[in-house]
Amino acid sequence: MFKKTIIESTGKSPWLFHINAGSCNGCDIEIVSVLTPRYDAERVGFKLVGSPRHADIAVVSGPVTKQSLPRVLRTLEQIPEPRCIVTCGSCPQSGNVFRDSYSVCGPLSKYVHVDVDIAGCTPKPEAIMDGLLLAAQILAEKKKTGNQEATLPNPYAPEKTAEEAKPAEEKTEEKGEA
Amino acid sequence: MSVILNALVDLGYILIFPGFLFCFLCGMLLCGIERKIVARMQKRVGPPILQPLYDFFKLCGKETIVPTVANKTVYLAAPIVGLAALVVIQLFIPVFNFTAFAGNADIIVVLYLLLIPALAEIFGAAATGSPFAGVGLSREMVTIISCELPLVLVFLAVGKAVGNAIGSGVVFSLQTIAAYQAENGCLLFKASMIPAAIAFLLTIPGETGMHPFDAAEAETEICEGMLAEYSGKPLAVYKLSHAVKLLTLTSLFVALFLGGLGTGILLVDGLITFFFCVVVIICVVALIDASTARLKIEQLFKYYWTVVSGLAAISLILAWFGL
Amino acid sequence: MSNLLNYIHFPIYSVMVLFLGAFLIVVLGKNKFLRHLIAVLAAGISLACMIALIKPVMLNGEVIAYWMGNRVPAGGYAIGIAMEVDALSLFFGLLISTAVFVSCVYSVQYMSHDENIPQYFTLFLMLAGGVMGLVLSGDIFNMFIMVEILTFAAVALTAFRNKVYGALEAAFKYLVVGCMGSTCILAGVIMLYANAHTLNFAQLSGIIPGMMSNNSVKIAFALLFVGFSTKAFIVPFHPLAADAHGAAPASISVLISGVLTKSGIYGIIRLTYFLFQTMGLGSFQFLLVFIGCVSMFLCVTMALAQHDFKRLLAFHSISQIGYVLTAVGLYTAIGFSAGIYHALNHTLFKGLLFLAAGAVLHETGTTNLDELGGLSKKMPHTTVLFLIGAFSISGIPPFNGFASKWMIYQACYEKAVESGNIGYVLVTVICLVTSVLTLASFVKVSQSVFFGRLPEKYENVKEVPWGMRLAMGMFAVLCVITGLFPNLVGKFLTHPAATAAFNANGYIDAMMGEGYASSALGPFMNSAQNVVFYEAGVWSPVSWLLILCIVLLAVTIVAVTGKYEKVNALATGEPDAKHALFFSGEEAVYSQVGGSDLFWGFKHNWRHYFSFMHDLHSGILNDYALWAVVALSLAMLFMLIVL
Repeated sequence: MFKKTIIESTGKSPWLFHINAGSCNGCDIEIVSVLTPRYDAERVGFKLVGSPRHADIAVVSGPVTKQSLPRVLRTLEQIPEPRCIVTCGSCPQSGNVFRDSYSVCGPLSKYVHVDVDIAGCTPKPEAIMDGLLLAAQILAEKKKTGNQEATLPNPYAPEKTAEEAKPAEEKTEEKGEA
Repeated sequence: MSVILNALVDLGYILIFPGFLFCFLCGMLLCGIERKIVARMQKRVGPPILQPLYDFFKLCGKETIVPTVANKTVYLAAPIVGLAALVVIQLFIPVFNFTAFAGNADIIVVLYLLLIPALAEIFGAAATGSPFAGVGLSREMVTIISCELPLVLVFLAVGKAVGNAIGSGVVFSLQTIAAYQAENGCLLFKASMIPAAIAFLLTIPGETGMHPFDAAEAETEICEGMLAEYSGKPLAVYKLSHAVKLLTLTSLFVALFLGGLGTGILLVDGLITFFFCVVVIICVVALIDASTARLKIEQLFKYYWTVVSGLAAISLILAWFGL
Repeated sequence: MSNLLNYIHFPIYSVMVLFLGAFLIVVLGKNKFLRHLIAVLAAGISLACMIALIKPVMLNGEVIAYWMGNRVPAGGYAIGIAMEVDALSLFFGLLISTAVFVSCVYSVQYMSHDENIPQYFTLFLMLAGGVMGLVLSGDIFNMFIMVEILTFAAVALTAFRNKVYGALEAAFKYLVVGCMGSTCILAGVIMLYANAHTLNFAQLSGIIPGMMSNNSVKIAFALLFVGFSTKAFIVPFHPLAADAHGAAPASISVLISGVLTKSGIYGIIRLTYFLFQTMGLGSFQFLLVFIGCVSMFLCVTMALAQHDFKRLLAFHSISQIGYVLTAVGLYTAIGFSAGIYHALNHTLFKGLLFLAAGAVLHETGTTNLDELGGLSKKMPHTTVLFLIGAFSISGIPPFNGFASKWMIYQACYEKAVESGNIGYVLVTVICLVTSVLTLASFVKVSQSVFFGRLPEKYENVKEVPWGMRLAMGMFAVLCVITGLFPNLVGKFLTHPAATAAFNANGYIDAMMGEGYASSALGPFMNSAQNVVFYEAGVWSPVSWLLILCIVLLAVTIVAVTGKYEKVNALATGEPDAKHALFFSGEEAVYSQVGGSDLFWGFKHNWRHYFSFMHDLHSGILNDYALWAVVALSLAMLFMLIVL
């Protein structure tokens, strides 16, 4: 009876948990700015929570350093299902300027299934907002299908030209790779 | 036969009107309004009014993770016991002239029942074994101690004020207080009761854990404190009880100080006026919530035992001398 | 034979059977089974005798006067040794025999690790017999003798585990101050005898109120009052209780807190309501209420600062005695019945809590709050029973502490309105705040003993044997029953007792013959007629049962429908990282917020008070003896000025 309501609500009330995996703090500041009056993510139900047990979406920023890797994975595992994992900034996707460093283990997708990548160094608040909304839709999809790897078609995918394109990746105008 | 009938009527009270269903809807609505008002005050659009409902249903659909070190029974039972206690209080609080469980209604019962939700939360948190929850429950207990003194003084002051007017010495019965106000206008317009009303208003954020008295649930320092290990359905019930607690405390305020504002004996009429009063108070509470930062726990204690208790004590002394 | 089963004889049976049991255990105690059988049987018979007396004494309002050897008073003088049981005596007799019985059942398995068990049971029954004798005696000198018996038995039992650190010291402290108390009582008895030439309680009650202008009578009053205060451990004798409880076996703590303190309260009630009949004086009501409030508040704050489970309970015990004394000191019918109702409840829930502490000690070997934790997974039954006790003492509805505390608040506030004295409002506020502080310290105990993390060294802890759980269960059931049906408790126990307390004339007449009281005291306004009871709070069991059912249903639904055991190990390689505690990403390690740090937000604001208290309670016996002397001189001064 409530199944439909629950699925609908899942998309409307995604709670964020932010994990810093060795980030330079640039992305962290931008994530906070999403919640400020100017962008006000709360109007679509986003809320920053303090414990992974309450979270639906984990936002990971930073290049996933050797120190942080086990902690990140442990925390991600402690998020109850259905959950979405979003990488914020280029670092967790490619390593960015820290690529090939002895202490960087990224990208994050080597270890867990990443649902949305928000590229940029740092991504604009608008881009983060867009990515998070997509994550919220994926969340509802996951609840609906019960499949933890469920995805949605990439709204920003180029027209079938890039055959090696990652599934459900979102490209924004600024690609900050070195 | 009549016993069964009475039981059925009681069941109706418990489940529908002042009970679960009413608490659920009104609590959620109040919580949504509160969030909206806070957002508007910060120049934000704010979440939809129904956002707490979405949150609740979403949490119902989430997986519940019981930590291995936790005591599972206490962990799962605590939220429900807390919610049930809140519903019981709601049954005792008069709505204009109507009280679901007449004869049971007494200020001291309400005072003690108000402890149970917080207590259930504390025991649930203790059962998880998380150190964050440990810090959270310690702060919550200090908050309870802090709020208790002003609440006691406010209740005694109201009891004395009504008792003076009726001439029966002392009144602890909420029903009598409601009946008195229905006849003589609400207590808020008595000069001696104004400090008590202010003290009660200041106690509401402390009891419900809103800014600036939310040291117990500080999500940024101690990972939501007592709720750190809760997820899924138990968390949903906790969120619901927080919303219901808001309703309980504000409707208690209405019953104590604004009881005379009903227009008629008709139930619906009483309900509407009652609801308006609640909304007005929510605005006051939301105002404090939006405009203040978090106090440290020892500051919180000091504040309640000096400023707020002082206000309530002034009221009690004024009432004592018949003003 | 049928003559011997007449209920007239029951009081003497209930005392004698305990002493007889003590004697038999000395003789036959080598056999384990026989020893336990005798002890439990003696306690059981004593309890049965008391229960059998409910109908004649409580419901029919009889006062049983039992003259040893049938030496009834002749020529207006009571020479024989008497036992007299009115509703008040029976009330205290009932709660004492209940506590003794349950504690005895508990002892059987609890003491199994100790040596010298026969001696334990001998002393145990001596203590029980002493208290029963004190409560049922109608003779002030016999009261003194019983005080001596129970004091020495209690001292010996405190030191029973003399290998435990501090046991001998505690016993020594108790011995010294306890003997000071006993000596005071003896001196008071002597001075009364010198003035009134009789020792019979009823006759003294007839004579003494007319002699109150005599200074030596006032001094005697002060001596007796202080003597019985030492037995009740009220301030300033509270440090003794803490030490004694900390060292004694838990089953003895039950007796010391549930039974010994009650005998002190009983003595004070008898003195003030009957013997000297001073309760009508405002200043005297002030004295009792003042001592009560100080005991209540000081000891609850002391309890908040304790690190030891049993010491904490000891301080709470005195705090609850403070409630009883306050309520009794109000000198109103509702106040008195509330007070003794709370006394009954205190025996039940404090007994339960001490037994739970004993269970923890039995299994883990310690009661230190900073070392324990997480026992709820290993000892689930003990945890539930402890929680019932903790909720009861904190006054959470629907347990019994709530019902009696509720009546106490009403009584206090009503007294304030009646007398127009705003001070009683302060008393009400202190009562309510004390209650929430009590709750706080039990939250501390539950967090640091039963919940929180389990230290690794207690991995192998097991649930306690069934006999101990049975004993705790008895107390728990009684806690719930007395909480749910305050009307029945009122009808069968507290109202008759309160009526008896306000009917000193009836008591005297029953002993000394009709008309003695009015001839001795003159036309005495019979305050029994003014005793009106009304229900302070009405419970509607149907509504509460409905709510209970719904809660149970909801818990079951959540428990059944939830998917809780889904384990899916991901990439971390740890066996079950998902169900581990959230530790900010770190691997969860043992970490527990220490019990002593739990309320620092509160303690920080009160730090000057706490450090003052810390310095005051030096632990030096000389200081405590000095306090006793000061209390005695103050009491004498008070009596000389006021009376």
